[in-house]
Amino acid sequence: MGRRSLASFAALAVVVVALFAQVPAAGQTAGSAAKASPAAKAWTPPRTADGKPDLQGIWTDNTLTPFERPKSLGSKEFYTDQEIADLTKRIHDARPGERIEGAELGAANPQEIRYDLEIYGFDRNKLRFQSKRTSLIVGPEGVIPPMLPQARQRNADRVAKNKGHEFDGAENRPLSERCIMMGQEQIPMVPAANEGNLLQIVQGPGYVTLLHEIDHSTRVIPTDGRPHVPPNIRLWQGDSVGHWEGNTLVVDTTNFTNLTAFRGSSENLHLVERFTRAADDTLMYQFTVEDPTTWAKPWTAEVPWAKTKGPVYEYACHEGNTMIATILHGARVAEEDAAKKGK
Amino acid sequence: MRNWLGDSVIAGVVAAGLMLAATHSAAQAPAYRAPRTADGKPNLNGIWQALNTADWDLQGHAAAKGPAPLLGAVFAVPPGLGVVEGDEIPYLPAAATKKKQNQANWTTLDPEVKCYLPGVPRATYLPYPFQIVQSPQNILISYEYAGAVRVINMGAPTKAPGDSWMGWSNGRWEGETLVVDVTSQLENTWFDRAGNFHSDALHVVERITPRSADTLNYEATIEDPKVFSRPWKISMPLYRRVEKNAKLLEYKCVEFAEEVLYGSLRKKSSN
Amino acid sequence: MTTKLTFVVAAMGLVLAAVPVRAHHAFAAEFDQAKPIKVQGSVTRWELTNPHSWIYVDVKDADKTVTWMIEGASPNNLYRLGLTKESLPIGSVITVEGYQAKDGSTRAVGRDIVFANGKKFFLGLMEAEGAPKQ
Repeated sequence: MGRRSLASFAALAVVVVALFAQVPAAGQTAGSAAKASPAAKAWTPPRTADGKPDLQGIWTDNTLTPFERPKSLGSKEFYTDQEIADLTKRIHDARPGERIEGAELGAANPQEIRYDLEIYGFDRNKLRFQSKRTSLIVGPEGVIPPMLPQARQRNADRVAKNKGHEFDGAENRPLSERCIMMGQEQIPMVPAANEGNLLQIVQGPGYVTLLHEIDHSTRVIPTDGRPHVPPNIRLWQGDSVGHWEGNTLVVDTTNFTNLTAFRGSSENLHLVERFTRAADDTLMYQFTVEDPTTWAKPWTAEVPWAKTKGPVYEYACHEGNTMIATILHGARVAEEDAAKKGK
Repeated sequence: MRNWLGDSVIAGVVAAGLMLAATHSAAQAPAYRAPRTADGKPNLNGIWQALNTADWDLQGHAAAKGPAPLLGAVFAVPPGLGVVEGDEIPYLPAAATKKKQNQANWTTLDPEVKCYLPGVPRATYLPYPFQIVQSPQNILISYEYAGAVRVINMGAPTKAPGDSWMGWSNGRWEGETLVVDVTSQLENTWFDRAGNFHSDALHVVERITPRSADTLNYEATIEDPKVFSRPWKISMPLYRRVEKNAKLLEYKCVEFAEEVLYGSLRKKSSN
Repeated sequence: MTTKLTFVVAAMGLVLAAVPVRAHHAFAAEFDQAKPIKVQGSVTRWELTNPHSWIYVDVKDADKTVTWMIEGASPNNLYRLGLTKESLPIGSVITVEGYQAKDGSTRAVGRDIVFANGKKFFLGLMEAEGAPKQ
């Protein structure tokens, strides 16, 4: 199984989800989140019973907006309303399998081996842009900065060590296949283009809890301004500490393991996330990622989350993980067959 | 001569007896009133942990040799008084046999060995802390073990569309007590490492009551007509983790269970 | 002196990072493009446990019955379509097209699943339930 095909399938082969079901709440049409420009009327968010900005609810980040900006758009950071409408129509009218530049269809992209989405009620006409941005990554470049040579080398070394051993045992398989860290589980939270990976926020005194549906990923974040845990404690999802800045929850995360490797990064990854209730039905999520041993400079993305209908259901990945056993067994069967032919 | 000392003693004893009687009747009502959350409910927020050996065996048990001789006294079975009221678990006859088989083969059958989600009530008394985050609409409990989590719906009760490992929790307040009704659990979880088990008909009702500033009283009534002849009850205190900056860390145990689960599928003689 | 604990990547040789593995499923690692299947049979049960639902189909051969396990989407998606564990029409005849598991077992990913009347499986169940079409 080559790296390239794994990449293409990994990018496309998602658990078929709510391309169809996770339509944001009515009225959340393209651009309403982006309309909250500085000139717009300030909106006061509701407060929890103990007086903190209320971020609670069930949220979805489904959007057609691609993570990185298409090269052809250069430094264009925002579409006009007309451009969004035109692009949305092109996507709705497109033939199945037709790729449209500037839109991330995620699981709707063609794949040979996977479910026919129509049997799950997939309706292309439900797909929407949730902001007028041309990419989730903000700024004039709109793409992840180039990876430093040392990071390329580090990642290449890792792959090289596993070469020829990709199917030896569970520890040689990707974290997502092992149900240790699913791609969608990782922080920062990035839309996988129309996956129904709902986020539930529950706030108690001194804590904000994020329950991300996939693999029941739960982060209980203290907001008392405490320091991080000691540096020798490394965690798959790092260690998060939060504090309030006005109406914004700021979450600072460090202490990642060197295997977490978000987008090829190292244990030096430093993540700052900002959560602001921009409207009753909109949670603006902005994150800045830095790792001086991976990228030349930090980079920032902005993702609007829209209020949606719950509940969040249990997603127990490991308990039902027949896939990894089938894959390892399949490799053993293939080896036996090859050995028999060789005899 | 009148024994004034004796009379005083008798009076004292009578007075003490009256006081005891008064205290006893006062103990029928909750002796402790917890501080309130901003929305006026008993405050259960915090990091809590059970301090007993219920996860080894719900019933009373002496110390015993462990399953891993190489680990000697580090991993033998510690002794414990049971947490079952009456110390008896009322299995139906066929189920009692299955329990014995489970117990004899627990290292291969216990879902905890495989890092599977523990279900309710076992999640409460695993030897790891958990955190309660309480809001008016939802009470979320995050468990350190395996990242287990459940959200207790505090609004109008809702119905589960299907079964899950951690079940479906609807909660309500009864005075000082949080009452949680847990249904729709998969049959795959156990109550402990001693092979105590249930079917998909399991119905659990929990009652959580603050008993002091840093302790809760936890009770769970267990009902499963496919396995038990009547409902039965466990109870135990839960202790607050009071250290400064107490925090749940990750116990993402999947990687620790992979050898058990997939070791037989490993390539023979890998380089 | 603090000792920095780093996982020993070298010895374990993990594949990561170079490929951002976004999703749980590498379908092509589990199922075989060279082993397409098309079977027809009656539904006997389904398992609604994540990460995938499984539909059990009894397929009658000349002299024996083979049980195929057909992998479908996460049950959470089915719940959001309005389906529950009671929705499965036991005994219904369905036709499944898909790809067989690489280890040769009678498992397959269900690419297309239709009822005898041609209705697509999950949508058909929704209609049967009277669930509003999304």
